[in-house]
Amino acid sequence: MRRAVFYVVLALAAVAFLYPFLWMAATTFKSPAEVGGLSLIPDQPTLDNYRLMWARAPFGRALLNSLFVATTITFSVLVFGSAAAYALARLNFPGRGILNAVTIAVLLVPAQLTLIPTYTLIVQLGWVDSYAGLIAPFVFNATAILILRQFFMQVPRSLMDSARLDGMGELRILFTVFWPLAKAPLAMVGIFTFMGAWNEVLWPLLVVRDEQLMTLPQLLTVFSLGGGAGPRQLATKLAAAMVLVVPVVAAYIFLQRFFIESMASTGIKG
Amino acid sequence: MASVSFEHVRKDFGTATVVHDFDLHVANGEFVVLVGGSGCGKSTILRMLAGLEDITSGNVRIGEREVTHLPPRERDVAMVFQDYALYPHLTARENISLGLRLRKIPKAEIARRVQWAAELLELQPFLDRKPKKMSGGQRQRIAMGRAIVREPAVFLFDEPLSNLDAHLRGQMRHEIARLQRRVGTTTLYVTHDQVEAMTLADRLVVLEGGRIQQVGRPIDVYKAPANQFVAGFIGTPPMNFLDGQLERDKDELVFVSDALRFPLAAERRPHHAVDSNERVTLGVRPEDLTLTDTAGPATILGQLVLAEVLGATTHLHVEVGGRRLIAAIPSGPSPAAGAPISLSIDTRQLHFFASDGSSLLLGSNNS
Repeated sequence: MRRAVFYVVLALAAVAFLYPFLWMAATTFKSPAEVGGLSLIPDQPTLDNYRLMWARAPFGRALLNSLFVATTITFSVLVFGSAAAYALARLNFPGRGILNAVTIAVLLVPAQLTLIPTYTLIVQLGWVDSYAGLIAPFVFNATAILILRQFFMQVPRSLMDSARLDGMGELRILFTVFWPLAKAPLAMVGIFTFMGAWNEVLWPLLVVRDEQLMTLPQLLTVFSLGGGAGPRQLATKLAAAMVLVVPVVAAYIFLQRFFIESMASTGIKG
Repeated sequence: MASVSFEHVRKDFGTATVVHDFDLHVANGEFVVLVGGSGCGKSTILRMLAGLEDITSGNVRIGEREVTHLPPRERDVAMVFQDYALYPHLTARENISLGLRLRKIPKAEIARRVQWAAELLELQPFLDRKPKKMSGGQRQRIAMGRAIVREPAVFLFDEPLSNLDAHLRGQMRHEIARLQRRVGTTTLYVTHDQVEAMTLADRLVVLEGGRIQQVGRPIDVYKAPANQFVAGFIGTPPMNFLDGQLERDKDELVFVSDALRFPLAAERRPHHAVDSNERVTLGVRPEDLTLTDTAGPATILGQLVLAEVLGATTHLHVEVGGRRLIAAIPSGPSPAAGAPISLSIDTRQLHFFASDGSSLLLGSNNS
């Protein structure tokens, strides 16, 4: 009985979360007359909204821009973040304690506070309207460093010793010994970094004005607010939103499996 | 293969000195065991030889080569760790061959060596398994395989058997001994286990507080411990100690304590002059105590507290004037707990230690 109540509550919650999303997906296939309705099944399914959206703004290009920017950021956060984490966790050098403290301190500074100085810097560097301007401020991430450092500190010392005796240098130890062990934290950091970069709107709005360089969420915002979709063309705006959301949902479904698997397989002791 | 020399090696961690002026020469092909309690510096010494720990001062040589400041990979040593330290994401074969691949050894040669190690250690059945799918003993064999395929100048073992159960430990001990005899590589082996120390070592190095207490063949260390620490550390159950003093009685030297008074046998007299009334500690191995009915001079009267029957041997825990002595006697009918008991001391097997712990006999008897 209690179990039944539990499932009912879960089902209601699921509906509450899923319905708006499904409604959005459904609406993009509806004709203008149907758009306001609560139904999830269009009477006369149409792809007009997508055609319109695609014709009015360079969403294809924006999709590629977003993929490139988010992937590059994720890759550098993982590579540089794990290198920094490895050094802070496992190498002895003067000033390590201070660097650790500084890394933690960075977390305490709200992103809004550094927005203007960072923007000024990018302007000075002449990186406005460039991929460099979109990517550079995000290639290091203190949270990623701290999460990975925490994990790296737990890798048995003998494994490092053994790798050194086998003739490995520090970078090789990091990428061939620590990375395979750290699949789960790397996946987690990777997913969150990618999501963050993919959804970022504010920063691209600041540094990019060239439509050809806009990321997907940026173009979507400009498109929706700037009237690119035309008045009351809700379905077209939502079609643009779908282009933003679908890759993430697909990636999430795919990565979640990998995420759980890698969580289960990180048992170092066996 | 090569000899190993430590010359005045010292190690500080911050302000604490964990290894003091360590001097040791290990001959080519020799099996030397470093033994001591935890924190005695034995693992640190091994790690300094491997290059995993900086050396505060002093020199280390492998063969003719000074290696004090070389990184681990240039020292030509291979190490087996207590927790095996296998790469969890690689198969046994990959674990064994990785060091060779990194050294750019030709593939055919790698295959030949892996094959050789696999035969020697009977690894074939699990060469393609990952460590997670192996038992502790199998993992330890893989770790040993990884060490021998490198054909290093020196093998280092850091408590390699501590994580295994008693039965497997015995078995692996024999394998290590057999392996070292087969390949004849100079070996340094760290353990806190006396059985390993006694059975494996050509020479034993007993450490305490970062200092060498004694170096010698295991049986010599057992028979003629250099000081009270070594006497108490090597041997199970440990040596019994009784405080007393030595007195001159005409031509004889007599040991006197609350419970005892007996003249010393000529061969167990301290070889250097002992002042009359000097405080000394008498050391008696449990096996040098026997049950007796006749009261003689070297007989201790006490009360049986506990009799542990181990099979062929029984350990009698006897209370004598507030002290606990242990006698190891052949099993047989033994008195009940609480019963009065007399133990006779074999006066030809005594040890005497000065108040600073040093042996008063060393040098006079090395049999």
